[in-house]
Amino acid sequence: MIHFERTKLANGLTVIVHQDKTTPMVAIDVCYNVGSRDEHPDRTGFAHLFEHLMFGGSKHIPSYDEPLQKAGGDNNAFTSNDLTNYYLTLPKNNIETGFWLESDRMLELAFSKSSLEVQRNVVIEEFKQRTLNQPYGDVWALLRQLAYKVHPYQWPTIGREISHIEKATMQQVKDFFFAHYAPDNAVLVVAGDVDFDKVVTLADRWFGPIPNRAVKPRSIPQEPEQTEIREQSVVRDVPNDTIYMAYHMPDRLDPNYYATDLISDVLSNGNSSRMYLNLVQKEKMFTELDAYLSGDNEPGLFVVSGKPSNGISLETARKAIEKELDRMKQERVSEYELEKVKNKVEANIEYSEMNYLNKAMNLATNEILQDADLINSQVDFYRSVTSAQIQEVAQQIFRTENCSVLNYIAKKSEHVES
Amino acid sequence: MLNRKIQPTVHPIEHIDMVQAEKRLLSNGIPVYFVNAGSQDVVKIDFIFEAGTWFQPANLVASLCNSMLEEGSSNFSAAEIGEKFDFYGAYIQLMADQNYGNFNIISLGKYLPTILEITENMIKHSVFPQYELEVLIDKNKQKFLLENQKVKTLCQKKFTQVMFGEAHPYAITNKIEDFDQVSREMLVEFYQSFYHSGNCRIIAAGQVDESVLALLEAHFGGADWQRNTIETPYYEVSPDPHKFHHVEKANGIQSAVRMGKFWVPKNHPDYHALSVLVTILGGYFGSRLMTNIREEKGYTYGIGSFVLSLKHVSYLIITTEVGNEYIEPTLNEIAIEMKRLQTEPVSENELETVKSYLLGEFLRDFDGPFALAGSFKAINDFDLDYSFYDNYLHVLRNITSEELMRLAQQYLNPEDFYTVVAGSTFPTNLT
Repeated sequence: MIHFERTKLANGLTVIVHQDKTTPMVAIDVCYNVGSRDEHPDRTGFAHLFEHLMFGGSKHIPSYDEPLQKAGGDNNAFTSNDLTNYYLTLPKNNIETGFWLESDRMLELAFSKSSLEVQRNVVIEEFKQRTLNQPYGDVWALLRQLAYKVHPYQWPTIGREISHIEKATMQQVKDFFFAHYAPDNAVLVVAGDVDFDKVVTLADRWFGPIPNRAVKPRSIPQEPEQTEIREQSVVRDVPNDTIYMAYHMPDRLDPNYYATDLISDVLSNGNSSRMYLNLVQKEKMFTELDAYLSGDNEPGLFVVSGKPSNGISLETARKAIEKELDRMKQERVSEYELEKVKNKVEANIEYSEMNYLNKAMNLATNEILQDADLINSQVDFYRSVTSAQIQEVAQQIFRTENCSVLNYIAKKSEHVES
Repeated sequence: MLNRKIQPTVHPIEHIDMVQAEKRLLSNGIPVYFVNAGSQDVVKIDFIFEAGTWFQPANLVASLCNSMLEEGSSNFSAAEIGEKFDFYGAYIQLMADQNYGNFNIISLGKYLPTILEITENMIKHSVFPQYELEVLIDKNKQKFLLENQKVKTLCQKKFTQVMFGEAHPYAITNKIEDFDQVSREMLVEFYQSFYHSGNCRIIAAGQVDESVLALLEAHFGGADWQRNTIETPYYEVSPDPHKFHHVEKANGIQSAVRMGKFWVPKNHPDYHALSVLVTILGGYFGSRLMTNIREEKGYTYGIGSFVLSLKHVSYLIITTEVGNEYIEPTLNEIAIEMKRLQTEPVSENELETVKSYLLGEFLRDFDGPFALAGSFKAINDFDLDYSFYDNYLHVLRNITSEELMRLAQQYLNPEDFYTVVAGSTFPTNLT
């Protein structure tokens, strides 16, 4: 259970405070409701590039990092399809430096030309490091493109191609900032040994004067229901064939989301999970086999990925996976098995609450999703899932026509390249 | 009136609450270090054995032996072990590094009695089933092949070979053929020689009290798992005479770079001051290398320098991955940054920044039970005590620019460094 207090400033900024007296530090998390789903299809990777630019100086402060380091602080940020999250930790006495820095870059960036040029280059190198120069590095790009035809989840956060990043202009950067970076499109969470009134006073002082920017609610085209199986095969210079099967699944606020998550746990979370026990350990058909959710706020993907053992074809591998998925559709999971995955979820939630920064991040991302208090209902949501519901959800999701298959084929070394 | 141009007053960090580990002994002499902290009902217990690659008779033995500890014991099959841990939401973390074989468990406190009962059997009576071993070897083979496609892996391997010499246990020399040479008997023998009470210490962190000690005593305090301690071998390093090496990796568009040299051990009088120097060079986001090579030139997504202190040898290493066209400029800039540290005193402003940053990091290193346990292990591995950290704080608060420049002159000569580049482009000017 995470206790917190919440208020909203006149300019629309939501402020959440969680008191944790066990730490000498304080975490400040500013989460913006903008992610790669808000990008134009010809300018993908922009939300993430923008995250880099947020460290290139703001209106009144030429350097973000140095003053933070002077206050004993550390920081980082990440961009997802759904949101962009900035977080820092500081010794609690120096909390005001965090407010000063974060409010100034919410107010306005420096929009420096050199920062744009350098960060474009840094992001291009990041693109290479994460995708082009990495075995299996393009899997998510391929899989998303296969599974989504309309929804912007079809491109990865890093971007669809390097040229989109290369072409980013200063005007686009400015437009993006004023369209999305605003108090009315963000959540401020402070966690640590702090009290609510003091945080609200600081928030009023530093964030209060930032104008509300009347951010327009997003209107994103929804993905039409998939009506037939999609399949793509690619040959790459990797050591092993790998199969990826992606099924459309419910959004984060759908009551069936939790059942779907438990399905992935039954199948592949831990050494006693079904797919590991049956297909990796017993049948030795795979050396790696995982089932997981993309974790997106809007309807995401349930993915199964597996590396078949030597001598097992991708077709045989696929049949074996389908057999396990069919079992989820045909038989109810036992009460014991359900209890087991629920216990594990509950333990994981307990572990995650050990750290003040973790808690701040969870509060922020849940508030962006809908309501920070969701994190306190999670256990009950998971606990209330029944085996009948799991079976129903499995039947809804694991339909052939709802599936996108990516066959990732290892280039054989004996083949001569043409 | 709010002045956004001026930073709010920064308060120096004066008080640091260092919760220290408390040493206890089990009846058979196993030291148990208690780190009692945290507000959650969570316990992490590390069983640490001197069973790293230093002691292995052949490649892969230490890590496979360690991994096999969850693949079956006299009372529990691999499947049953998995089943129990999953049911209680507990985790086993197995890891063999250069010196230690680690068996760590994380559990909710309320399930600890059950978890420790299984853990006892796993640690004391591992059975190394052939079938599970084959599955494990197949899995690891595939992982090995995958890792070997990454320039950073190829680079790190070559770097350790160049620094230590291929016969030294700190050199990573694993080959795919090694997987076929490991036998069950080798693992069993290694297990019997190194996983016993005479070769074990325990660190318990979280909400730990006398009841946890009683549990540890009941399960691990007996004389029943004492075996003869093997004499520790000693290996001398045998570095390569050539300072520059290239590893070919076809078709890569980025290259991995490792630059490094031997470094002083943790008990050396210069160690702490050098930590500050290495941080200035490449140890934080505002470091010289990050500022110059990422934030000004955009050659890389990241570059850093850090010290790796191993039990018998320490080294400094600079790591990055850069576009092929940036290899030579990057290596030049690294050398320039070292020279700058040797010839220009670090400004008061920069020194203040790095001191504050490191003090903040220090607070983080002593915040929460797991961090506290980690900080304790970092000294305990080297038979050091908490005065190590007191000394560090003293040095950190008092170090001067002059001292740093003197150290840079002594320790940061570019010509002393070994450089390994892995990628498709051979930087011809540098051989």
